Amino acid sequence: MGDTGTTHGVKVDSPLVIRLEHVSKTYKSSTRPALDNVSVDMDKGEFVFLIGPSGSGKSTFLRLLLREEVPSKGRVYVSNFDVAKMARRRVPRLRQSIGCVFQDFRLLATKTVAENVAFALEVIGKPRHTIRKVVPEVLQLVGLDGKADRMPNELSGGEQQRVAIARAFVNRPLVLIADEPTGNLDPDTSQDIMLLLERINRTGTTVVMATHDHSIVDSMRRRVVELSLGKVVRDDARGVYGVGR
Amino acid sequence: MRASFVFSEVITGLRRNITMTIAMILTTAISLGLLGGGLLIVRTIGKMQANFLSALQVEVNLDDAVSAGDPNCTQSICAGLRADLTNYPGVVSVQFQNRNQTFAKAKAEFSNDPEMEQLVRPEAFPASLLVSLQNPTQSGVISAAFASKAGVRDVDDQGVFVQKLTDLLNGVRNATFLIALIQALAALMLISNTIQVSAFTRRTEVGIMRLVGATRWYTQLPFLLEAVVAGVVGAVLAVGGLVVAKVAFLDNIFGSVFSSTIIPKIGLLDIASVSPWLLLAAVGISALTGYVTLRLYVRL
Ligand SMILES: Nc1ncnc2c1ncn2[C@@H]1O[C@H](COP(=O)(O)OP(=O)(O)O)[C@@H](O)[C@H]1O
Ligand SMILES: [Mg+2]
Repeated sequence: MGDTGTTHGVKVDSPLVIRLEHVSKTYKSSTRPALDNVSVDMDKGEFVFLIGPSGSGKSTFLRLLLREEVPSKGRVYVSNFDVAKMARRRVPRLRQSIGCVFQDFRLLATKTVAENVAFALEVIGKPRHTIRKVVPEVLQLVGLDGKADRMPNELSGGEQQRVAIARAFVNRPLVLIADEPTGNLDPDTSQDIMLLLERINRTGTTVVMATHDHSIVDSMRRRVVELSLGKVVRDDARGVYGVGR
Repeated sequence: MRASFVFSEVITGLRRNITMTIAMILTTAISLGLLGGGLLIVRTIGKMQANFLSALQVEVNLDDAVSAGDPNCTQSICAGLRADLTNYPGVVSVQFQNRNQTFAKAKAEFSNDPEMEQLVRPEAFPASLLVSLQNPTQSGVISAAFASKAGVRDVDDQGVFVQKLTDLLNGVRNATFLIALIQALAALMLISNTIQVSAFTRRTEVGIMRLVGATRWYTQLPFLLEAVVAGVVGAVLAVGGLVVAKVAFLDNIFGSVFSSTIIPKIGLLDIASVSPWLLLAAVGISALTGYVTLRLYVRL
Protein backbone atom coordinates (compact mmCIF):
# COMPACT_ATOMS: atom_id res chain seq x y z
CA MET A 1 0.00 0.00 0.00
CA GLY A 2 1.33 3.44 -0.82
CA ASP A 3 1.11 5.42 2.37
CA THR A 4 2.03 8.76 0.90
CA GLY A 5 1.16 10.30 -2.39
CA THR A 6 4.54 11.92 -2.80
CA THR A 7 6.82 8.90 -2.62
CA HIS A 8 8.68 8.64 -5.90
CA GLY A 9 10.81 5.57 -5.47
CA VAL A 10 9.54 2.45 -7.17
CA LYS A 11 8.66 -0.09 -4.54
CA VAL A 12 9.98 -3.56 -5.04
CA ASP A 13 7.31 -5.54 -3.21
CA SER A 14 4.31 -3.69 -4.67
CA PRO A 15 4.93 -2.44 -8.20
CA LEU A 16 3.58 0.90 -9.28
CA VAL A 17 0.68 0.89 -11.66
CA ILE A 18 -0.14 4.57 -11.77
CA ARG A 19 2.16 7.50 -11.29
CA LEU A 20 1.53 11.20 -11.79
CA GLU A 21 4.58 13.46 -11.59
CA HIS A 22 3.92 17.16 -11.06
CA VAL A 23 0.93 17.05 -13.35
CA SER A 24 -0.93 20.22 -14.20
CA LYS A 25 -3.79 20.48 -16.60
CA THR A 26 -5.28 23.74 -17.80
CA TYR A 27 -8.12 23.51 -20.28
CA LYS A 28 -7.96 25.86 -23.22
CA SER A 29 -11.17 27.63 -22.28
CA SER A 30 -10.27 28.36 -18.69
CA THR A 31 -7.59 30.19 -16.75
CA ARG A 32 -7.67 28.21 -13.49
CA PRO A 33 -5.91 24.85 -13.81
CA ALA A 34 -8.19 21.82 -13.39
CA LEU A 35 -5.20 20.01 -11.88
CA ASP A 36 -2.35 21.87 -10.25
CA ASN A 37 1.02 20.18 -9.71
CA VAL A 38 -0.42 16.79 -8.75
CA SER A 39 1.96 13.95 -7.83
CA VAL A 40 0.40 10.63 -6.85
CA ASP A 41 1.53 6.99 -6.98
CA MET A 42 -0.81 4.03 -6.91
CA ASP A 43 0.27 0.43 -6.52
CA LYS A 44 -0.99 -2.73 -8.07
CA GLY A 45 -4.03 -4.02 -6.24
CA GLU A 46 -4.82 -0.77 -4.43
CA PHE A 47 -8.33 0.59 -3.98
CA VAL A 48 -8.19 4.38 -4.11
CA PHE A 49 -10.97 6.89 -3.59
CA LEU A 50 -10.55 10.19 -5.35
CA ILE A 51 -12.70 12.66 -3.50
CA GLY A 52 -13.41 16.35 -3.55
CA PRO A 53 -16.22 18.70 -4.40
CA SER A 54 -17.62 19.08 -7.87
CA GLY A 55 -15.09 20.81 -10.11
CA SER A 56 -12.09 19.83 -8.00
CA GLY A 57 -10.53 17.87 -10.87
CA LYS A 58 -11.47 14.23 -10.22
CA SER A 59 -12.73 13.49 -13.72
CA THR A 60 -9.79 15.33 -15.25
CA PHE A 61 -7.46 13.10 -13.21
CA LEU A 62 -9.16 9.98 -14.59
CA ARG A 63 -9.24 11.29 -18.16
CA LEU A 64 -5.50 11.86 -18.01
CA LEU A 65 -4.98 8.18 -17.14
CA LEU A 66 -7.00 7.21 -20.21
CA ARG A 67 -5.31 9.78 -22.37
CA GLU A 68 -8.64 11.36 -23.10
CA GLU A 69 -6.67 14.47 -22.19
CA VAL A 70 -2.97 15.22 -22.14
CA PRO A 71 -1.40 17.14 -19.24
CA SER A 72 -0.21 20.69 -19.77
CA LYS A 73 2.77 19.89 -17.54
CA GLY A 74 4.21 16.82 -15.87
CA ARG A 75 4.17 13.14 -16.69
CA VAL A 76 1.62 10.36 -16.38
CA TYR A 77 2.49 6.68 -16.23
CA VAL A 78 0.08 3.76 -16.30
CA SER A 79 1.73 0.34 -16.06
CA ASN A 80 4.65 0.78 -18.45
CA PHE A 81 2.93 3.34 -20.66
CA ASP A 82 4.28 6.87 -20.69
CA VAL A 83 0.76 8.11 -21.21
CA ALA A 84 1.33 11.74 -22.12
CA LYS A 85 4.17 11.03 -24.51
CA MET A 86 3.08 7.84 -26.20
CA ALA A 87 2.24 7.74 -29.90
CA ARG A 88 -1.42 8.07 -30.76
CA ARG A 89 -1.57 4.70 -32.43
CA ARG A 90 -0.52 2.99 -29.19
CA VAL A 91 -3.34 4.57 -27.17
CA PRO A 92 -5.72 1.63 -27.88
CA ARG A 93 -3.24 -0.70 -26.12
CA LEU A 94 -3.28 1.54 -23.07
CA ARG A 95 -7.06 1.64 -23.02
CA GLN A 96 -7.30 -2.12 -23.36
CA SER A 97 -5.53 -2.38 -20.03
CA ILE A 98 -7.92 0.03 -18.31
CA GLY A 99 -11.60 -0.64 -17.63
CA CYS A 100 -14.03 2.28 -17.26
CA VAL A 101 -17.33 2.76 -15.46
CA PHE A 102 -19.36 5.97 -15.37
CA GLN A 103 -22.27 7.48 -13.56
CA ASP A 104 -24.47 7.19 -16.66
CA PHE A 105 -23.68 3.50 -17.39
CA ARG A 106 -23.22 4.12 -21.16
CA LEU A 107 -24.85 0.91 -22.33
CA LEU A 108 -26.01 0.36 -25.89
CA ALA A 109 -29.80 0.39 -25.79
CA THR A 110 -30.15 -1.80 -28.88
CA LYS A 111 -28.01 -4.64 -27.55
CA THR A 112 -28.76 -7.22 -24.89
CA VAL A 113 -26.78 -7.50 -21.67
CA ALA A 114 -24.55 -10.21 -23.11
CA GLU A 115 -24.11 -8.32 -26.40
CA ASN A 116 -23.14 -5.17 -24.53
CA VAL A 117 -20.39 -7.04 -22.75
CA ALA A 118 -19.33 -8.93 -25.88
CA PHE A 119 -19.14 -5.64 -27.78
CA ALA A 120 -16.11 -4.57 -25.76
CA LEU A 121 -14.27 -7.68 -26.91
CA GLU A 122 -15.54 -7.69 -30.49
CA VAL A 123 -14.26 -4.22 -31.20
CA ILE A 124 -10.77 -5.08 -30.05
CA GLY A 125 -10.79 -8.11 -32.32
CA LYS A 126 -11.03 -10.95 -29.78
CA PRO A 127 -11.86 -14.30 -31.34
CA ARG A 128 -15.44 -15.49 -31.11
CA HIS A 129 -14.73 -18.62 -29.08
CA THR A 130 -13.01 -16.51 -26.42
CA ILE A 131 -15.98 -14.17 -26.29
CA ARG A 132 -18.43 -17.05 -25.97
CA LYS A 133 -16.47 -18.36 -23.03
CA VAL A 134 -15.66 -15.25 -21.01
CA VAL A 135 -18.91 -13.28 -21.32
CA PRO A 136 -21.01 -15.77 -19.28
CA GLU A 137 -18.18 -16.00 -16.75
CA VAL A 138 -18.07 -12.28 -16.14
CA LEU A 139 -21.88 -12.03 -16.04
CA GLN A 140 -21.84 -14.61 -13.32
CA LEU A 141 -19.15 -12.68 -11.45
CA VAL A 142 -21.30 -9.53 -11.40
CA GLY A 143 -24.42 -11.49 -10.49
CA LEU A 144 -26.30 -11.18 -13.77
CA ASP A 145 -26.09 -14.74 -15.07
CA GLY A 146 -29.87 -15.05 -15.43
CA LYS A 147 -30.23 -11.80 -17.34
CA ALA A 148 -27.90 -12.21 -20.30
CA ASP A 149 -30.68 -11.74 -22.85
CA ARG A 150 -32.40 -8.77 -21.24
CA MET A 151 -32.29 -5.36 -22.83
CA PRO A 152 -30.79 -2.51 -20.75
CA ASN A 153 -34.16 -0.76 -20.39
CA GLU A 154 -35.53 -3.89 -18.71
CA LEU A 155 -33.00 -3.58 -15.89
CA SER A 156 -32.82 -1.53 -12.71
CA GLY A 157 -30.15 1.15 -12.37
CA GLY A 158 -28.04 -1.11 -10.19
CA GLU A 159 -28.27 -3.95 -12.67
CA GLN A 160 -27.34 -1.62 -15.53
CA GLN A 161 -24.27 -0.53 -13.60
CA ARG A 162 -23.38 -4.19 -13.11
CA VAL A 163 -23.50 -4.67 -16.87
CA ALA A 164 -21.20 -1.69 -17.27
CA ILE A 165 -18.81 -3.15 -14.69
CA ALA A 166 -18.91 -6.52 -16.44
CA ARG A 167 -18.03 -4.79 -19.71
CA ALA A 168 -15.20 -2.87 -18.05
CA PHE A 169 -13.82 -5.98 -16.43
CA VAL A 170 -14.34 -8.63 -19.10
CA ASN A 171 -10.93 -8.01 -20.67
CA ARG A 172 -9.29 -8.35 -17.23
CA PRO A 173 -7.82 -4.87 -17.06
CA LEU A 174 -4.93 -3.89 -14.85
CA VAL A 175 -6.81 -0.83 -13.65
CA LEU A 176 -10.53 -0.18 -13.22
CA ILE A 177 -11.52 3.46 -13.30
CA ALA A 178 -14.92 4.42 -11.90
CA ASP A 179 -16.13 8.01 -12.17
CA GLU A 180 -18.94 8.44 -9.64
CA PRO A 181 -20.35 4.97 -10.38
CA THR A 182 -22.94 5.28 -7.61
CA GLY A 183 -23.98 8.82 -8.51
CA ASN A 184 -27.31 7.67 -9.98
CA LEU A 185 -28.05 4.92 -7.48
CA ASP A 186 -29.85 4.73 -4.15
CA PRO A 187 -27.76 3.95 -1.03
CA ASP A 188 -28.59 0.24 -0.86
CA THR A 189 -27.81 -0.36 -4.50
CA SER A 190 -24.65 1.70 -4.10
CA GLN A 191 -23.52 -0.64 -1.34
CA ASP A 192 -24.02 -3.63 -3.67
CA ILE A 193 -21.97 -1.96 -6.36
CA MET A 194 -19.21 -1.22 -3.84
CA LEU A 195 -19.15 -4.87 -2.82
CA LEU A 196 -18.77 -5.81 -6.46
CA LEU A 197 -15.93 -3.32 -6.97
CA GLU A 198 -14.25 -4.72 -3.87
CA ARG A 199 -14.52 -8.20 -5.31
CA ILE A 200 -12.93 -7.05 -8.50
CA ASN A 201 -10.22 -5.33 -6.50
CA ARG A 202 -9.49 -8.63 -4.70
CA THR A 203 -8.59 -10.20 -8.07
CA GLY A 204 -5.58 -7.87 -8.08
CA THR A 205 -7.12 -5.14 -10.21
CA THR A 206 -6.28 -1.61 -9.09
CA VAL A 207 -9.51 0.35 -8.61
CA VAL A 208 -9.59 4.14 -8.77
CA MET A 209 -12.97 5.57 -7.95
CA ALA A 210 -13.99 9.20 -7.99
CA THR A 211 -16.89 9.98 -5.69
CA HIS A 212 -18.33 12.52 -3.32
CA ASP A 213 -20.47 9.98 -1.48
CA HIS A 214 -19.42 10.34 2.19
CA SER A 215 -21.03 7.19 3.52
CA ILE A 216 -19.37 4.93 0.95
CA VAL A 217 -15.91 6.33 1.59
CA ASP A 218 -16.41 6.19 5.32
CA SER A 219 -17.65 2.61 5.33
CA MET A 220 -14.88 1.25 3.10
CA ARG A 221 -11.86 2.65 4.93
CA ARG A 222 -9.58 2.59 1.94
CA ARG A 223 -6.98 4.98 0.65
CA VAL A 224 -8.38 8.45 0.08
CA VAL A 225 -6.82 11.09 -2.17
CA GLU A 226 -8.60 14.38 -1.78
CA LEU A 227 -8.53 17.09 -4.40
CA SER A 228 -9.47 20.71 -3.89
CA LEU A 229 -9.30 23.21 -6.71
CA GLY A 230 -7.02 20.82 -8.57
CA LYS A 231 -4.54 20.31 -5.74
CA VAL A 232 -4.00 17.16 -3.67
CA VAL A 233 -4.85 18.33 -0.17
CA ARG A 234 -4.91 14.95 1.56
CA ASP A 235 -3.72 11.41 0.92
CA ASP A 236 -4.71 8.95 3.70
CA ALA A 237 -3.98 5.24 3.56
CA ARG A 238 -7.22 4.44 5.43
CA GLY A 239 -9.28 7.52 5.13
CA VAL A 240 -12.76 8.80 5.72
CA TYR A 241 -14.48 11.45 3.65
CA GLY A 242 -13.39 14.13 6.04
CA VAL A 243 -14.39 15.99 9.13
CA GLY A 244 -16.75 18.92 9.11
CA ARG A 245 -18.47 17.95 5.84
CA MET B 1 -10.53 -8.08 -37.60
CA ARG B 2 -13.92 -9.67 -37.19
CA ALA B 3 -15.52 -9.44 -40.62
CA SER B 4 -19.01 -10.43 -39.53
CA PHE B 5 -18.98 -7.75 -36.86
CA VAL B 6 -17.90 -5.01 -39.24
CA PHE B 7 -20.38 -6.20 -41.85
CA SER B 8 -23.35 -6.12 -39.48
CA GLU B 9 -22.30 -2.65 -38.31
CA VAL B 10 -22.28 -1.46 -41.92
CA ILE B 11 -25.73 -2.88 -42.70
CA THR B 12 -27.17 -1.42 -39.50
CA GLY B 13 -25.64 1.95 -40.32
CA LEU B 14 -27.02 2.02 -43.84
CA ARG B 15 -30.48 0.98 -42.71
CA ARG B 16 -30.62 3.48 -39.90
CA ASN B 17 -30.26 6.34 -42.37
CA ILE B 18 -32.28 4.74 -45.11
CA THR B 19 -33.51 7.91 -46.87
CA MET B 20 -30.07 9.44 -46.76
CA THR B 21 -28.58 6.19 -48.02
CA ILE B 22 -30.97 6.13 -50.96
CA ALA B 23 -30.24 9.76 -51.81
CA MET B 24 -26.52 9.03 -51.63
CA ILE B 25 -26.82 5.95 -53.84
CA LEU B 26 -29.02 7.65 -56.44
CA THR B 27 -26.82 10.72 -56.69
CA THR B 28 -23.76 8.55 -57.01
CA ALA B 29 -25.50 6.42 -59.63
CA ILE B 30 -26.52 9.42 -61.73
CA SER B 31 -23.05 10.88 -61.52
CA LEU B 32 -21.44 7.61 -62.49
CA GLY B 33 -24.03 7.01 -65.22
CA LEU B 34 -23.14 10.34 -66.77
CA LEU B 35 -19.46 9.61 -66.40
CA GLY B 36 -20.07 6.29 -68.13
CA GLY B 37 -22.03 8.04 -70.88
CA GLY B 38 -19.12 10.41 -71.39
CA LEU B 39 -16.67 7.54 -71.55
CA LEU B 40 -18.88 5.77 -74.09
CA ILE B 41 -18.89 8.89 -76.25
CA VAL B 42 -15.10 9.00 -76.03
CA ARG B 43 -14.99 5.41 -77.22
CA THR B 44 -17.44 6.13 -80.00
CA ILE B 45 -15.41 9.06 -81.23
CA GLY B 46 -12.30 6.93 -81.17
CA LYS B 47 -13.96 4.13 -83.10
CA MET B 48 -15.50 6.51 -85.59
CA GLN B 49 -12.16 8.08 -86.32
CA ALA B 50 -10.48 4.71 -86.54
CA ASN B 51 -13.11 3.19 -88.83
CA PHE B 52 -13.84 6.08 -91.04
CA LEU B 53 -11.04 8.54 -91.10
CA SER B 54 -8.24 6.06 -91.63
CA ALA B 55 -9.85 4.92 -94.87
CA LEU B 56 -10.73 8.45 -95.83
CA GLN B 57 -9.09 10.05 -98.81
CA VAL B 58 -9.37 13.63 -99.88
CA GLU B 59 -10.55 13.78 -103.48
CA VAL B 60 -9.02 16.62 -105.44
CA ASN B 61 -11.35 16.74 -108.47
CA LEU B 62 -9.88 18.12 -111.66
CA ASP B 63 -11.72 20.44 -113.97
CA ASP B 64 -13.35 19.43 -117.25
CA ALA B 65 -10.43 20.39 -119.48
CA VAL B 66 -7.95 18.30 -117.56
CA SER B 67 -10.42 15.43 -117.03
CA ALA B 68 -11.10 15.24 -120.73
CA GLY B 69 -7.62 15.91 -122.09
CA ASP B 70 -5.20 14.11 -119.77
CA PRO B 71 -6.32 10.54 -119.06
CA ASN B 72 -2.92 9.48 -117.69
CA CYS B 73 -1.90 12.62 -115.74
CA THR B 74 1.13 13.20 -117.83
CA GLN B 75 0.54 16.83 -118.84
CA SER B 76 1.93 19.69 -116.86
CA ILE B 77 -1.15 20.82 -114.88
CA CYS B 78 -2.09 17.38 -113.61
CA ALA B 79 1.48 16.17 -113.11
CA GLY B 80 2.33 19.44 -111.32
CA LEU B 81 -0.64 19.05 -108.98
CA ARG B 82 0.29 15.46 -108.32
CA ALA B 83 3.87 16.42 -107.49
CA ASP B 84 2.78 19.31 -105.25
CA LEU B 85 0.37 17.04 -103.40
CA THR B 86 2.93 14.29 -103.01
CA ASN B 87 5.43 16.71 -101.50
CA TYR B 88 2.84 18.39 -99.26
CA PRO B 89 3.55 17.85 -95.55
CA GLY B 90 1.45 15.09 -94.00
CA VAL B 91 0.54 13.48 -97.31
CA VAL B 92 1.19 9.74 -97.42
CA SER B 93 0.29 8.96 -101.00
CA VAL B 94 -1.42 10.38 -104.06
CA GLN B 95 -3.25 8.23 -106.54
CA PHE B 96 -4.58 9.36 -109.90
CA GLN B 97 -7.97 8.20 -111.10
CA ASN B 98 -9.16 9.24 -114.53
CA ARG B 99 -12.69 10.04 -115.63
CA ASN B 100 -13.45 6.49 -116.75
CA GLN B 101 -12.23 4.98 -113.51
CA THR B 102 -14.37 7.41 -111.52
CA PHE B 103 -17.30 6.53 -113.74
CA ALA B 104 -16.74 2.80 -113.22
CA LYS B 105 -16.72 3.26 -109.45
CA ALA B 106 -19.92 5.28 -109.56
CA LYS B 107 -21.59 2.73 -111.76
CA ALA B 108 -20.69 0.03 -109.30
CA GLU B 109 -22.27 2.10 -106.51
CA PHE B 110 -25.45 2.48 -108.53
CA SER B 111 -25.59 -1.18 -109.49
CA ASN B 112 -28.73 -1.76 -107.48
CA ASP B 113 -30.41 1.26 -108.95
CA PRO B 114 -30.71 0.48 -112.70
CA GLU B 115 -32.42 3.76 -113.64
CA MET B 116 -29.54 5.78 -112.27
CA GLU B 117 -27.11 3.39 -113.85
CA GLN B 118 -28.71 4.15 -117.21
CA LEU B 119 -28.53 7.87 -116.67
CA VAL B 120 -24.91 8.31 -115.75
CA ARG B 121 -22.39 9.21 -118.39
CA PRO B 122 -18.60 9.27 -118.09
CA GLU B 123 -18.59 12.97 -119.08
CA ALA B 124 -20.37 13.85 -115.83
CA PHE B 125 -17.44 12.64 -113.76
CA PRO B 126 -14.14 14.34 -113.10
CA ALA B 127 -10.71 12.79 -112.97
CA SER B 128 -9.39 12.92 -109.41
CA LEU B 129 -6.24 12.85 -107.38
CA LEU B 130 -6.94 10.71 -104.32
CA VAL B 131 -4.86 11.90 -101.39
CA SER B 132 -4.20 9.78 -98.30
CA LEU B 133 -3.14 11.74 -95.23
CA GLN B 134 -1.13 10.80 -92.19
CA ASN B 135 -3.70 12.55 -90.05
CA PRO B 136 -7.05 12.36 -91.82
CA THR B 137 -8.57 15.06 -89.63
CA GLN B 138 -6.28 17.54 -91.35
CA SER B 139 -8.01 17.23 -94.70
CA GLY B 140 -9.10 20.84 -94.44
CA VAL B 141 -5.53 21.97 -95.06
CA ILE B 142 -5.44 20.25 -98.45
CA SER B 143 -8.74 21.74 -99.32
CA ALA B 144 -7.52 25.23 -98.42
CA ALA B 145 -4.25 24.88 -100.29
CA PHE B 146 -5.50 23.28 -103.50
CA ALA B 147 -9.15 24.22 -104.06
CA SER B 148 -8.31 27.35 -106.05
CA LYS B 149 -5.32 26.06 -108.02
CA ALA B 150 -5.41 25.92 -111.76
CA GLY B 151 -6.98 22.70 -113.07
CA VAL B 152 -8.84 21.94 -109.84
CA ARG B 153 -12.63 21.90 -109.97
CA ASP B 154 -13.18 21.32 -106.26
CA VAL B 155 -11.88 19.36 -103.32
CA ASP B 156 -14.25 16.78 -102.00
CA ASP B 157 -13.45 16.65 -98.35
CA GLN B 158 -15.52 14.17 -96.36
CA GLY B 159 -13.11 14.74 -93.48
CA VAL B 160 -14.85 18.05 -92.86
CA PHE B 161 -18.09 16.23 -92.24
CA VAL B 162 -16.50 13.71 -89.93
CA GLN B 163 -14.67 16.53 -88.17
CA LYS B 164 -17.95 18.35 -87.61
CA LEU B 165 -19.47 15.18 -86.23
CA THR B 166 -16.46 14.68 -84.00
CA ASP B 167 -16.73 18.26 -82.76
CA LEU B 168 -20.40 17.75 -82.01
CA LEU B 169 -19.75 14.55 -80.12
CA ASN B 170 -16.87 16.18 -78.27
CA GLY B 171 -19.26 18.93 -77.22
CA VAL B 172 -21.82 16.42 -76.01
CA ARG B 173 -19.04 14.57 -74.21
CA ASN B 174 -17.80 17.72 -72.47
CA ALA B 175 -21.31 18.68 -71.40
CA THR B 176 -21.85 15.15 -70.09
CA PHE B 177 -18.61 15.23 -68.14
CA LEU B 178 -19.49 18.63 -66.73
CA ILE B 179 -22.87 17.47 -65.48
CA ALA B 180 -21.21 14.31 -64.18
CA LEU B 181 -18.75 16.47 -62.29
CA ILE B 182 -21.48 18.61 -60.74
CA GLN B 183 -23.38 15.48 -59.79
CA ALA B 184 -20.17 14.03 -58.37
CA LEU B 185 -19.82 17.11 -56.15
CA ALA B 186 -23.37 16.59 -54.94
CA ALA B 187 -22.62 12.92 -54.34
CA LEU B 188 -19.44 13.84 -52.49
CA MET B 189 -21.27 16.19 -50.15
CA LEU B 190 -24.01 13.64 -49.57
CA ILE B 191 -21.47 10.95 -48.75
CA SER B 192 -19.65 13.28 -46.39
CA ASN B 193 -22.90 14.34 -44.77
CA THR B 194 -24.16 10.79 -44.43
CA ILE B 195 -20.98 9.74 -42.69
CA GLN B 196 -21.21 12.65 -40.30
CA VAL B 197 -24.84 11.87 -39.49
CA SER B 198 -23.97 8.22 -39.16
CA ALA B 199 -21.09 8.99 -36.82
CA PHE B 200 -23.36 11.23 -34.78
CA THR B 201 -26.10 8.60 -34.50
CA ARG B 202 -23.52 6.11 -33.36
CA ARG B 203 -21.56 8.39 -31.06
CA THR B 204 -22.35 6.26 -27.99
CA GLU B 205 -21.09 3.15 -29.72
CA VAL B 206 -18.01 4.88 -31.04
CA GLY B 207 -17.37 6.43 -27.63
CA ILE B 208 -17.43 2.99 -26.04
CA MET B 209 -15.25 1.55 -28.78
CA ARG B 210 -12.62 4.20 -28.15
CA LEU B 211 -12.81 3.71 -24.43
CA VAL B 212 -12.30 -0.04 -24.51
CA GLY B 213 -9.32 0.40 -26.81
CA ALA B 214 -10.60 -0.29 -30.30
CA THR B 215 -8.13 0.93 -32.86
CA ARG B 216 -8.91 3.92 -35.01
CA TRP B 217 -9.04 1.59 -37.99
CA TYR B 218 -11.67 -0.56 -36.29
CA THR B 219 -13.86 2.36 -35.26
CA GLN B 220 -13.68 4.02 -38.66
CA LEU B 221 -13.91 1.07 -40.98
CA PRO B 222 -17.69 0.66 -40.66
CA PHE B 223 -18.24 4.29 -41.69
CA LEU B 224 -15.78 4.00 -44.54
CA LEU B 225 -17.38 0.79 -45.74
CA GLU B 226 -20.83 2.35 -45.54
CA ALA B 227 -19.70 4.95 -48.03
CA VAL B 228 -17.96 2.39 -50.22
CA VAL B 229 -20.94 0.00 -50.22
CA ALA B 230 -23.23 2.86 -51.22
CA GLY B 231 -20.73 3.81 -53.93
CA VAL B 232 -20.60 0.28 -55.30
CA VAL B 233 -24.38 -0.03 -55.32
CA GLY B 234 -24.45 3.32 -57.12
CA ALA B 235 -21.99 2.02 -59.70
CA VAL B 236 -24.05 -1.12 -60.30
CA LEU B 237 -27.17 1.01 -60.77
CA ALA B 238 -25.25 3.27 -63.13
CA VAL B 239 -24.18 0.35 -65.30
CA GLY B 240 -27.74 -0.97 -65.29
CA GLY B 241 -28.91 2.50 -66.28
CA LEU B 242 -26.50 2.60 -69.20
CA VAL B 243 -27.72 -0.78 -70.47
CA VAL B 244 -31.34 0.36 -70.20
CA ALA B 245 -30.50 3.63 -71.94
CA LYS B 246 -28.79 1.73 -74.75
CA VAL B 247 -31.61 -0.75 -75.31
CA ALA B 248 -34.47 1.68 -74.82
CA PHE B 249 -33.20 4.84 -76.49
CA LEU B 250 -29.91 4.67 -78.35
CA ASP B 251 -30.68 1.52 -80.34
CA ASN B 252 -33.93 3.08 -81.54
CA ILE B 253 -32.53 6.48 -82.41
CA PHE B 254 -29.36 5.28 -84.07
CA GLY B 255 -31.08 2.25 -85.55
CA SER B 256 -33.43 4.36 -87.62
CA VAL B 257 -31.83 7.74 -88.20
CA PHE B 258 -28.21 6.77 -88.50
CA SER B 259 -28.38 3.64 -90.51
CA SER B 260 -25.09 4.72 -92.04
CA THR B 261 -21.96 3.32 -90.51
CA ILE B 262 -20.35 6.65 -89.69
CA ILE B 263 -21.32 6.56 -86.00
CA PRO B 264 -20.52 3.12 -84.69
CA LYS B 265 -23.22 1.56 -82.55
CA ILE B 266 -22.65 1.39 -78.81
CA GLY B 267 -22.62 -2.27 -77.87
CA LEU B 268 -23.00 -4.09 -74.58
CA LEU B 269 -19.32 -4.82 -74.85
CA ASP B 270 -18.58 -1.09 -74.79
CA ILE B 271 -20.65 -0.72 -71.63
CA ALA B 272 -18.91 -3.73 -70.13
CA SER B 273 -15.54 -2.19 -70.81
CA VAL B 274 -16.36 1.15 -69.15
CA SER B 275 -18.03 -0.43 -66.08
CA PRO B 276 -14.78 -1.36 -64.29
CA TRP B 277 -13.80 2.30 -64.48
CA LEU B 278 -17.13 3.34 -63.02
CA LEU B 279 -16.69 0.86 -60.21
CA LEU B 280 -13.16 2.05 -59.60
CA ALA B 281 -14.30 5.69 -59.59
CA ALA B 282 -17.12 4.79 -57.17
CA VAL B 283 -14.86 2.98 -54.74
CA GLY B 284 -12.09 5.55 -55.02
CA ILE B 285 -14.30 8.59 -54.57
CA SER B 286 -16.40 7.17 -51.74
CA ALA B 287 -13.41 5.81 -49.84
CA LEU B 288 -11.49 9.06 -50.22
CA THR B 289 -14.47 11.20 -49.24
CA GLY B 290 -15.10 8.91 -46.29
CA TYR B 291 -11.52 9.05 -45.17
CA VAL B 292 -11.24 12.82 -45.46
CA THR B 293 -14.56 13.30 -43.67
CA LEU B 294 -13.52 11.06 -40.81
CA ARG B 295 -10.20 12.86 -40.53
CA LEU B 296 -11.53 16.39 -40.69
CA TYR B 297 -15.08 16.42 -39.38
CA VAL B 298 -15.59 13.46 -37.11
CA ARG B 299 -13.79 13.16 -33.82
CA LEU B 300 -13.59 9.45 -33.31
N1 LIG C 1 -13.45 19.82 -21.32
C1 LIG C 1 -13.29 20.85 -20.46
N2 LIG C 1 -13.04 22.07 -20.94
C2 LIG C 1 -12.85 23.12 -20.11
N3 LIG C 1 -12.89 23.03 -18.77
C3 LIG C 1 -13.13 21.83 -18.23
C4 LIG C 1 -13.34 20.68 -19.05
N4 LIG C 1 -13.56 19.62 -18.24
C5 LIG C 1 -13.49 20.10 -16.99
N5 LIG C 1 -13.24 21.43 -16.96
C6 LIG C 1 -13.04 22.26 -15.78
O1 LIG C 1 -12.01 21.70 -15.03
C7 LIG C 1 -12.33 21.73 -13.64
C8 LIG C 1 -12.29 20.32 -13.09
O2 LIG C 1 -13.37 19.58 -13.67
P1 LIG C 1 -13.57 18.04 -13.42
O3 LIG C 1 -12.28 17.36 -13.62
O4 LIG C 1 -14.71 17.59 -14.23
O5 LIG C 1 -13.95 18.00 -11.88
P2 LIG C 1 -14.82 16.95 -11.06
O6 LIG C 1 -14.88 15.69 -11.83
O7 LIG C 1 -14.09 16.83 -9.77
O8 LIG C 1 -16.16 17.56 -10.88
C9 LIG C 1 -13.68 22.39 -13.55
O9 LIG C 1 -13.47 23.77 -13.23
C10 LIG C 1 -14.27 22.25 -14.89
O10 LIG C 1 -15.10 23.33 -15.20
MG1 LIG D 1 -16.56 14.60 -12.51
